[in-house]
Amino acid sequence: MSTREIFDSRIESGLLLLPTLLVSLVFLYYPTALAIRTSFFDSSFGQGDEFVGLKNYVTLLTDSGYHSSLLLSVLFAAVVVVGVIAVSLYLTFLIHEVDTGQGLYLISVIWPYALPPAVGALVFLFIVHPTLGVLTGPIEALGVDVDWFNNGPQAFVVVALAAIWKQIGYNVIFMIAAMNNVPNTLTETAELDGVTGLRRLVSVYVPIMTPTLFFLVIINTIYAFFSTFAFVDLLTSGGPSNATNILIFDLYQEGFSFFNFGVASAKSVVLFLLVGVLMFVQFRVTDEYSYYGA
Amino acid sequence: MVELLQYAKRRADALRGNSAAETTYDAKPGTHLQLWLLVFAVVFPIAVAVIVSTKQTGVVTSLGDLLPGSYAVENYREALVDYQFGRFMWNSLAMSLVIVVGKLVVSVFAAMAIVYYRVPYKDLVFLFILFTLLLPVPVRFIPLFQLMNDLGWSNTILAITVPYIASATTVFILRQHFLSIPTSIVETAKLDGVGPLRFMLFVLLPMSKGVLVGVSIIMFVYAWNQYLWPLIIIDSEANQVAQVGLQLLQGDVQGGQLSWSLVMAGSTLTLLPPLLLMIVFRKPLLETFSIQQK
Repeated sequence: MSTREIFDSRIESGLLLLPTLLVSLVFLYYPTALAIRTSFFDSSFGQGDEFVGLKNYVTLLTDSGYHSSLLLSVLFAAVVVVGVIAVSLYLTFLIHEVDTGQGLYLISVIWPYALPPAVGALVFLFIVHPTLGVLTGPIEALGVDVDWFNNGPQAFVVVALAAIWKQIGYNVIFMIAAMNNVPNTLTETAELDGVTGLRRLVSVYVPIMTPTLFFLVIINTIYAFFSTFAFVDLLTSGGPSNATNILIFDLYQEGFSFFNFGVASAKSVVLFLLVGVLMFVQFRVTDEYSYYGA
Repeated sequence: MVELLQYAKRRADALRGNSAAETTYDAKPGTHLQLWLLVFAVVFPIAVAVIVSTKQTGVVTSLGDLLPGSYAVENYREALVDYQFGRFMWNSLAMSLVIVVGKLVVSVFAAMAIVYYRVPYKDLVFLFILFTLLLPVPVRFIPLFQLMNDLGWSNTILAITVPYIASATTVFILRQHFLSIPTSIVETAKLDGVGPLRFMLFVLLPMSKGVLVGVSIIMFVYAWNQYLWPLIIIDSEANQVAQVGLQLLQGDVQGGQLSWSLVMAGSTLTLLPPLLLMIVFRKPLLETFSIQQK
């Protein structure tokens, strides 16, 4: 490390760091500080500030709507994370197993990494539209009445499916790298011991891929909480009856439908703490696994 | 793709070493069949979008209607010209390019200072940059909105680009890559009396081509797919980006004039830039992802 440090001008290094530090300070740290400050004020439209202490936080603690939104987000994240990991892991395993056409299979399933969530949402809206959807007929033929504009649980499932679909690509990218790192001798030994097919995936590959899988669980959780906004906004607008009103959409509405910047800022602070906890857990566990030979 | 090459190599080795064991994990036809079905499921929604974008009205209510129409040219022309989608695409492109170039330059500077300068408090500065990972747009869009109003940047390209220029992820990936450049090369440069600017231009950048392309693709996909922030801060159609502009193609929904073929034409157009970049540059992209996880 020391031999890499070939320059020592403080002014030069300061100038090189200046743009990143300045933008971080003005557009990342300062707004965060502002959010913390505003969360202690009764602030509508960002004006008419009146210091109210912890009132906004008390509001959150006693608001049953906010509690359901929090619970809903946790449930949504759980469904999305489990769905994405399961589908991606199985897809990766199948690609890992075939001898021919791997490159083509791989690009055919990792492309949703590039998919804009807004596009994914509108396409989903179209294919399972209650009256127009091309898949609506076939699904109803199975005995399900497609009515997710009015049916909360159905709306939840539609948003979750769209969110899972978009995230498969990113997961397979990391999983295929991890699975290809499993020593070949291990695969051969497993085969000789008669551990084949899915059992090899579950009892040989998954344990070795644990660090990668854990990394993906955290990334997918953050994704489900924050990056699925476009799906909710375009598919359901949080409805019907708040059935898909996850925290990020709830925050957006608090800020830009109701213009309660004080309460919205308190909600931002809660989200900030949530990201912090998730990142901390990831950091700690990744640290533990770093000797595991990822 | 690097994983595939490694995989192929290992398979070849295995073949040479023990061809009897090799036959046991020849893919069964069932594996290909399952892959085909899953790939079909992952591609199906977008295939429907592309097909619908070529039809007259875009009303597709059964699987039998999924034959391409002959209105492709007319639909794309109408979306791009009559509905100003060309304008939105251009705005998205400008936003994404400014973010990519800005982030790249600023992050190369920062990572160079962190790796190649012997100055005090360097680790602290790196931590200060890394800590911004905890401050994604969703936790600070409320105060950022207030800040943009104060700066008078609302509804401008500055608002949707400058806050993204500082990037902990990019600095981190570049730092990891710089640390992997052999010290002997760095020391040789020092012995030759190479100054910082020439070191950057003639040593560092040429040795980082792959990773620079990789992070550029990651940044472009990220920037192009932004939805929440432009939705909040851009309120004129002339300055709107494609992700948010897609909704405007829906036309008069209440009046029953919803034109799905136009929405799907817009969706296809919006998907193309990130998708093409990802496919063309998949090799450096996947290599860069493998750095990110470390």
